[in-house]
Amino acid sequence: MQTRYLSIAVVTVILGLLVGLQVKLLGVPEEPPPPPSARAETLTKELKELTWEKEALWEEIQDLEKTVQSARQGIEQAETALRAEIEKHMMLAGLTGVIGPGVEVTLENTPGGDFLFAVRDEDLLRVVNELRAAGAEAIAINERRLVGSSEIRQAGPFINVNLERTSPPYRIQAIGNPDDLARALELPGGLVDTARYVGIEINIEAKEELVLPGYQGRPRLDFARPLREGV
Amino acid sequence: MTKNRIHWALIVVGLVLGLMLSTQFRVQQEKVYSSTVKRVQQLAQEVESAKVERDALRARVQELRTELDRAADEARQGKLRTELDNIRMQAGLLSVKGPGIEVVLKDSNAPSQPGDNPNLYVLHDEDLLKVVNELRAAGAEALAINGERLVATSEIRCIGPAVVVNTTKRLAPPYTITAVGDPDTLIAALEMRDGVIATLKFWGIQVTVRRVPEVVVPAYTGPTTFHYARPFLEEGGN
Repeated sequence: MQTRYLSIAVVTVILGLLVGLQVKLLGVPEEPPPPPSARAETLTKELKELTWEKEALWEEIQDLEKTVQSARQGIEQAETALRAEIEKHMMLAGLTGVIGPGVEVTLENTPGGDFLFAVRDEDLLRVVNELRAAGAEAIAINERRLVGSSEIRQAGPFINVNLERTSPPYRIQAIGNPDDLARALELPGGLVDTARYVGIEINIEAKEELVLPGYQGRPRLDFARPLREGV
Repeated sequence: MTKNRIHWALIVVGLVLGLMLSTQFRVQQEKVYSSTVKRVQQLAQEVESAKVERDALRARVQELRTELDRAADEARQGKLRTELDNIRMQAGLLSVKGPGIEVVLKDSNAPSQPGDNPNLYVLHDEDLLKVVNELRAAGAEALAINGERLVATSEIRCIGPAVVVNTTKRLAPPYTITAVGDPDTLIAALEMRDGVIATLKFWGIQVTVRRVPEVVVPAYTGPTTFHYARPFLEEGGN
């Protein structure tokens, strides 16, 4: 008698289990596979960058609020406020000489090296882009300050920057956090590794103080006209 | 009679127990399974709200700049205002319009052969960088990729399938580069023999160039405050 109860109990529990699992399998559609943790990594990185920008924008807003306020106080104050704003934007435009910490990157052809692997415009372009991504605030190549319209372009054995000819060694100076800038270039498998692999001599030196000249060329505004209101 | 009842009771209890156990098992499994999903979802949500906040802050910056302009007008600072606008134009802080071109770049649609490295047929940050550089060399006065203005500090880099510009602006393909400048010079520079477009086409990247009588390049609206660079006055003072 006892064993019979037991066997009934066991059989029904198993039946219940089977029914339960079956219902689940039929009822709920397959869930997507769990995303790789790389996705979380990208998002974390994005979040960090957004936080950085939000903080920077906050700073900007506070600064601007002060400027607007003092500009409202009178003619003289308005003049001072506007001059401060002009100076700030001239820095961003690259029109003023700047001083600050940063790195100096020197690229040179290996003596007697193959022309195919001489320093080319795209090498400089890549270094500059990497430095910008790492937060460089001001960059100059052989004393030519890079602005929004600056090109870096091969012209025979030379490289033109701001329509002026430069020749090797190429010295790229960048103002920003020296550690961040150097690290971005020295990443394993990154720029420095690649350049050395193809036979370019590349050296990075952190500098406590770099002085970069302002842009010397004439402003290029022959076709563009300001568009007011509405972005 | 009673024996039958006990049987039925046992069967019902057993079934319920089995159902409960199986549900428990599923729930347990789902928990492990979706904690990674939940984490990603949580992060994605935070990213989204951070983007909304960023856009609001950017809009506030623009608003304050307009307020400053108004204050300057009221204080009759016409000359300085013109100067400020001129500097803003050069810094990329003003939206501009003018004749120019529009370049659209898309990944290769050519079926790659087995054994080919698919990486070679995909658009890279370097390609955009080169097109932009070529346009600058040809005298482009204002540039934007997918509506994000390029300034002196702008980088162009690949992160996964997206291209990031100006630190936080993630752009998805196709990439549209808009440039203000002399359309003939810009187009000629791109379409030069062995030029950028020829190289891109070699890899099957789809490039279309269009002349636009009046192209609009929006203003840069990101942060402009420097933390490391200070103005350097020629006299040696600071």
